[in-house]
Amino acid sequence: METWPIVAVFTQGMASPFSGVLLARLFPFPFGVAALLAEPKDGFETMASELARKGMKAHAPATIVGKSGVKHEFAFALVQDPGKAKVVVDTELSVRDVDEMKVLKFYVKVFDVGPEKAVLCVSPKLAPRAATLAKEYGITVLEDEVPKKLIPMAEKLVNETVG
Amino acid sequence: MAGGTILKGGKKRIFPVHYDPGKKLFHTVVVLSDAPGSFSSILELLRTKVNLIGTGTYTRSDGTALFSGFCEALSPKVTREDLKKLILSSKAAISAEVYEGKDGLLVDTFHTGLVVGGDEYILMRREGLAHVFDRVSKLLGSGGDSLLFEEGATMGAKNAEIMIKNIGIDRVKNQTAALNRFLAAQGWGEVVGEQGPGKDSVVVVIKDCFECSAARGTRKACNFMRGYLGGSAKVTYGMEFDSKETRCVLKGAEACEFVFAPKK
Repeated sequence: METWPIVAVFTQGMASPFSGVLLARLFPFPFGVAALLAEPKDGFETMASELARKGMKAHAPATIVGKSGVKHEFAFALVQDPGKAKVVVDTELSVRDVDEMKVLKFYVKVFDVGPEKAVLCVSPKLAPRAATLAKEYGITVLEDEVPKKLIPMAEKLVNETVG
Repeated sequence: MAGGTILKGGKKRIFPVHYDPGKKLFHTVVVLSDAPGSFSSILELLRTKVNLIGTGTYTRSDGTALFSGFCEALSPKVTREDLKKLILSSKAAISAEVYEGKDGLLVDTFHTGLVVGGDEYILMRREGLAHVFDRVSKLLGSGGDSLLFEEGATMGAKNAEIMIKNIGIDRVKNQTAALNRFLAAQGWGEVVGEQGPGKDSVVVVIKDCFECSAARGTRKACNFMRGYLGGSAKVTYGMEFDSKETRCVLKGAEACEFVFAPKK
């Protein structure tokens, strides 16, 4: 498909925090999905590397085996004891408000893994019902129109949790 | 034939519904005296008018028995009134009702559910349940798989509790092989357990596992069944088990295989 290389050029060269978002929201598919996903993925990897240098067991992406024996993948996780997650982070990036099914999808993974803190990074924002559900489930939600801005927000939260 | 071929087991056929276009179909329900010869006397009468398609009989708590049979009229002239009159001419029949199908479709409108060993059951299409599991897994990803495991574990634990209450913990422990056949008879799959590779570990092999039936490539493991077996073992043996599915039909194996070992 000819469009994909073009997307790759755009996403690799994005210096402005608005470029990927603009592209994504102007051209929801297939430009949108690829452009939205590229930024936070790289950001979490950098964040994990930085925390690892400080001696923390941080992984991005992270695969954690839950109580059920099922393997779950998170965008980022901070692990303490072997196999025990302290913080798990996932992202939900969309061209429209994120619905409650995405919150539920994250929650069932969190339920199985049982971390101290579960963070869902959302762009642009949760739909009202999804926000209510996240609150009920005790999920910390970070929202921003610009996906790239979610990384420092998540990093700050992780650092606060670690103390 | 004496010393004939060995009769192989298979799927039981029951008749909540039957469709045979062009046929005149009836559902006969008879309350009988629960005495030797009652059932055969009814059959003897019916054979002159109908061909039985599928039947069931069971004793009831009030000392009577109930015969329920789906049948096809041998002649288009046979009416439900004829059949009812014929059945009630038997001294064995206490009461009777005959329901007629329409356009080749006959539905059991008498029964309102199923009872197995004193517990109420429901029937559902195996394929339908497998597709529900597919949908859960597709919607919720790996979380859906763990959810199916949790649901399986809950059901396994509850069923074990009920079985222990009904027949006692010693029989449940000593007759595991027979109880595995009970799962097979319900259509869950043919379950065989054997000693595992490690100390205290058990290998369970399931042929024709219901969870794998008609799956559409969304799932890659039988998490519900793994949970079910683990939940059942937990209640029966009073300890937690680690479990792993080592082979699965969903991954191309001929049967599903699980290894269970006490949790350290």
